[in-house]
Amino acid sequence: MKILVTAKRVEDPESKIKVKPDGSGIVQEGLKYKINPFDEIGVEEGLRLVAKHQGEVVVVSIGGKEVQEQLRHALAMGAHRAVWVNHTGPVDQLGIAALLQKVVEKEQPDLVILGKQSIDDDQNQVGQYLAEFLGWGQATFASKVESMESEQEKNKVPAIVLTADKKSVQVIREVDNGLATVECQLPAVVTTDLRLNQPRYASLPGIMKAKSKPIEELTPAKLSVDVTPAIQVLKMSSPPARKAGIKVADVPALVEKLHNEAKVV
Amino acid sequence: MSTAALPADFLQAITEGFPVDFLTREPGELQEYGRDWTRVYTPAPAAVALPRTTDEVSRLLALCHQHHIAVVPSGGRTGLAGGAVAARGELVLSLQRMTRMGPVDLLGNTVRVQAGAVTEAVHHHCAEHGLTWPVDFASKGSSTVGGNIATNAGGVKVIRYGLTRQWVLGLQVVTAQGEVLELNGALEKNNTGTDLRQLFIGSEGTLGVITEATLKLTQLPGKQDVFLFAVPDVAAVLRLFRDARRQNAFSISAYEFFTDRCMARLGRHRKLRPPFETPSECYVLLEAEAKDAAAVEGWLGSLFERELVTDGVQAQGAAQAAELWALREGISESLSATGLPHKNDISLPVAGLEAFCAELEAIFSARYPGWEICLFGHIGDGNLHVNVMKPDAMDKAEFLAHTKQADPTMFALVQKHGGSISAEHGVGLLKKDYLGYSRAPAELALLRTLKRALDPRGILNPGKVVDA
Repeated sequence: MKILVTAKRVEDPESKIKVKPDGSGIVQEGLKYKINPFDEIGVEEGLRLVAKHQGEVVVVSIGGKEVQEQLRHALAMGAHRAVWVNHTGPVDQLGIAALLQKVVEKEQPDLVILGKQSIDDDQNQVGQYLAEFLGWGQATFASKVESMESEQEKNKVPAIVLTADKKSVQVIREVDNGLATVECQLPAVVTTDLRLNQPRYASLPGIMKAKSKPIEELTPAKLSVDVTPAIQVLKMSSPPARKAGIKVADVPALVEKLHNEAKVV
Repeated sequence: MSTAALPADFLQAITEGFPVDFLTREPGELQEYGRDWTRVYTPAPAAVALPRTTDEVSRLLALCHQHHIAVVPSGGRTGLAGGAVAARGELVLSLQRMTRMGPVDLLGNTVRVQAGAVTEAVHHHCAEHGLTWPVDFASKGSSTVGGNIATNAGGVKVIRYGLTRQWVLGLQVVTAQGEVLELNGALEKNNTGTDLRQLFIGSEGTLGVITEATLKLTQLPGKQDVFLFAVPDVAAVLRLFRDARRQNAFSISAYEFFTDRCMARLGRHRKLRPPFETPSECYVLLEAEAKDAAAVEGWLGSLFERELVTDGVQAQGAAQAAELWALREGISESLSATGLPHKNDISLPVAGLEAFCAELEAIFSARYPGWEICLFGHIGDGNLHVNVMKPDAMDKAEFLAHTKQADPTMFALVQKHGGSISAEHGVGLLKKDYLGYSRAPAELALLRTLKRALDPRGILNPGKVVDA
């Protein structure tokens, strides 16, 4: 089977993010970047699926030439080849979904796996838009029952299950009151939640091999997509600073504060 | 051995001259403050004093001197040699309330802090300015500046930055008589005779009590790459090190090794995932700052061609780097959590490590046939942590007796190869009897002379390191 997986470049969550004083964006200087963790989970899941059912994992990223770093990372994990949509200007979620739609039409995968959201703007929209644009079924927030993996990463078993006739996939998703299992006909769009798997390390032999794996360059123009954003970011600001805590002398004082000030008891 | 050990007139003077919460004799506190990370001794301090200022430390020590009261200076109590243990009715002098940190001097790259400041807090304090105090180890969340200096602590970055000693410009020390010494201020250069500051660094609280320090800072390192390699044996660990050290493409900030037995204990204690499909006998963690990325890649590729490593991974992002570091930094804790280790912390000249390790194997098979021995350490500094695990069927007393009997054989080997019986854990109580393997009789005599001169009544950390 052929699986297309996204690999967005995002700020490393361990970096310290600061908003520019004029609110026009974040301070880029000194930041480290990595694959969006949800996408990294998607790559891992794709690799497990093709390890079990044969096929290939194609990884796609949109951005300037720096996103090749994230594509190389996915290739080092084991993805077979990469598609790079070279675009440096602003783009919104609709634009991204439109670009991905064209890539999907070109690549004809059986399955597209995306992170359910990216950790930079937390939009949680692209997977859903893409499924709609393609007219495909979607299974969002794919999860796995008690998947704090170890034990040789649960033997690298994929959590997305292909049905016996290989015509559809079964996905477990977390819902408010438990877990729901949904089945989608292929081709389909699946978005990943955090508890799906634990992505593998990039092995050094993998990193070496990744250097010679092909990255195909595309552009919005080549894909005939107009990415002029419909959404404009007006301003960014930091959340209000947390107030310093206080110490209370004893339990009655705590209860008094909780009752009269916090009004929670 | 009991709280009654403190004379009434001493207690009276404390009540009159110090804040009400200055001294505690609450049993739980005595347990806690009476011990460090060694679990060999039963804590039994008479009381715990918690000063807030140098003046209080000074007046307290003058009083203790007057009343001949033994004092155990105490920091974060993360030591592994019993240096901060109070098991004989001593008064614990904890610096933990003295945590103030001054402003970072951005011109001189220094910061003045009180002895009780926690290592990690100092790191955070300086990081805002792009600077760091490069003293770093697994216990950084609890260990304090005063304790680090008093033990000349080592850690995981020694290969790049050296020991704590290199990163202390000035010291404020209170002597056994209560006199306050200001040593070296904030000077980088001060060529005015014998440097008394260095005398107190690493003296484990036996010569004076460190109350403040001016720390030397350095730029935060650039992007660090973290690798974990699988190699077949200890000789291969050293081969890889020799090769890595010769490279100009990167500078090494850590070169750590551990055996698969350590990894197995880690796996049992915490659910850390093994980074490789197939286990290997030894692993090396390399942290390096690349100067020439292309050359680093070339070197990495060549490791496989030259069969220096059998497998390897590179952390992608800070979270994976932290995961790989957790494998190394979690070992000590996991060994203690899953069994009873007998610990030795030895160092050898790096050039002599290979010959030493070969002979060590022979000792192991003669002294501990079939026992589980967990080896890890900062091999780039010639530092090995040798952990002999108690066999499950053996009782504790028999185990301790057995290791006590076996230790001298290993120490003799360390001595033969020009090594040290305590690389970075200090001497404290645990290694005191073996000091002779690393220090000559004339040296020991000189250490005793110094001790008597600085602490004539022997009140400072008595029984630790050397006896006066």
